[in-house]
Amino acid sequence: MTLAIQTSALSKSYGSVTAVHSLDLAVEQGTVFGLIGPNGAGKTTTLRMLLDIIRPSSGSATILGQSPRAGGAAQRRRIGFIPGELRLDGRVKGLALLRHYADISGPVAPGAIEALAERLNLDLTRPVRALSKGNRQKLGLIQAFMHRPELLVLDEPTSGLDPLIQREFLQMLREARDAGQTVLLSSHVLSEIQQSADQVAVLAAGRIVAEGDVASLRLHSVRRLRAGIAESDVATVRDRLSRLEHVRDLEIFEGATVRVLATVNGDIDELVKALANFRLTDLTVEEPDLEESVLDLYGRQEVAS
Amino acid sequence: MTHTAETRDHVDAGRRALLPVFRRAVLDSWRSTLGWAAGLAAAVMLYLPLYPSIGTTQMMDVLDSMPPELIKALGYEQIGSGAGYTQATIFGLIGFALLTIAATTWSSAAIAGAEESGRLELMLGHAVSRVQYALESTLALVVRLAALIAFTMALILVINDSAQLELEPVNVLAASLAFLGLTVLTASVGLAVGAVSGRRAIATASAAGVAIAGYVMSAIGNQSADLEWLHRFSPYDWAYLNSPLTEGFDVGGLGLLFGLAAVVIGLAVVALDRRDVTG
Repeated sequence: MTLAIQTSALSKSYGSVTAVHSLDLAVEQGTVFGLIGPNGAGKTTTLRMLLDIIRPSSGSATILGQSPRAGGAAQRRRIGFIPGELRLDGRVKGLALLRHYADISGPVAPGAIEALAERLNLDLTRPVRALSKGNRQKLGLIQAFMHRPELLVLDEPTSGLDPLIQREFLQMLREARDAGQTVLLSSHVLSEIQQSADQVAVLAAGRIVAEGDVASLRLHSVRRLRAGIAESDVATVRDRLSRLEHVRDLEIFEGATVRVLATVNGDIDELVKALANFRLTDLTVEEPDLEESVLDLYGRQEVAS
Repeated sequence: MTHTAETRDHVDAGRRALLPVFRRAVLDSWRSTLGWAAGLAAAVMLYLPLYPSIGTTQMMDVLDSMPPELIKALGYEQIGSGAGYTQATIFGLIGFALLTIAATTWSSAAIAGAEESGRLELMLGHAVSRVQYALESTLALVVRLAALIAFTMALILVINDSAQLELEPVNVLAASLAFLGLTVLTASVGLAVGAVSGRRAIATASAAGVAIAGYVMSAIGNQSADLEWLHRFSPYDWAYLNSPLTEGFDVGGLGLLFGLAAVVIGLAVVALDRRDVTG
């Protein structure tokens, strides 16, 4: 097994604030590695250190066999990178901008830029400053993928993309892995990582709080649920729901119907089955909140140790 | 992926483009370069053809009525000669002001501006070293300033006869080179302060500050013998005190301007190479 990325006690401090705390990461070649965590967890700082955009305060990183500082420009030619806050502007047209980066980090196979643009549905003839945020992000994806680098380092790559394009992006990740490319991507969206990554590290407050393959991580989704129940009363509903294992913050009150508010910590199956016994007027389950999921995981670990 | 790495090296030798950062910087700024050229052309074509009327009594009356301190501050003592007039209007005033602004804005944009806009982070994620980025950006600056000054020089030479300036072409070259040295020094300050601080506003203020301080020191130094020592510390005087339009190349002054600019650019390269790049 060869490691595309290895960090050892990698740390970054700004004055008295520690952004990344003694990080040990190992990313195997040919895998998709997801780095997840809430905003401000240190993901962007970590990825910038791997690209030698900022330098570690202590510890070390080895990328494709060399430290980022020693590897320099030659190493970055083998990497495709999307910064976390991709900002592009200017009159320059999309195609001209991409050719510029291709000049630097190429060679790029003939037609590769156009093929990616078509795939992502991006018009390359428009000036960059006239593009929407999502379309600029597509330019970011193309400049990272176009030279088929051995390693892709993608910081929040899907931010601003609509769901169809996000799906196309996940397909691009699978193809990259199948072609032997290694991917390190960060996200604060749990589902995105769950759909694409082989291995995951969860970062919170600059430290890894959990690591492993996606399935074994026991990363519980914390979802919020709202329901309206007709033809019943508060006492009956409470009696039925309060005994469920994964439900907390349960609130039940009388309105036009019986209103239920709850936070579901992990398995949602029991609650849904319990609700199915009633006549529902509405049901809303919100997308898992990563921050809460991570805090939940963090909390469980603290209790365990 | 080793097979791709090998073919890549093989293909690269022939295909990699030369000076990509330099070419992008020059291409991206062609509009503003043309704008500055138009400004310089307007200055030359509006001021220099007026020279024959300077000798008239009316104009001399106007100059005589001005306070002598103002005449000295503006460097108008020699305004009665073609060289003095060209120096006082183009190289010493309007042209100087225009290219100081160009040098200031371009130099602060090259590193600090790129960093603040996020462009530098994306660029440095590609196969460009920071030293290469700083040096190619510097080259793009120097080439644009040199092109604008060469254009100005050509215009001056074209109307030299019709405006009765009686300038020696080789002296125009000497003054143009001094002018280039002065603006490159200003630009080097904008690059270096931008490379150290990463802040465009600070880089702009520093570059403009150095240019203005030089001009002010020169103007004050003209006022009396007691203040002449100020000339020694003014880049403006390193360029112009020895009147290159009449006396030709001032090797010492040029050496000082270009030498110091080279040192400051060296500092810019080292500063950028050593620090964190932030967004």
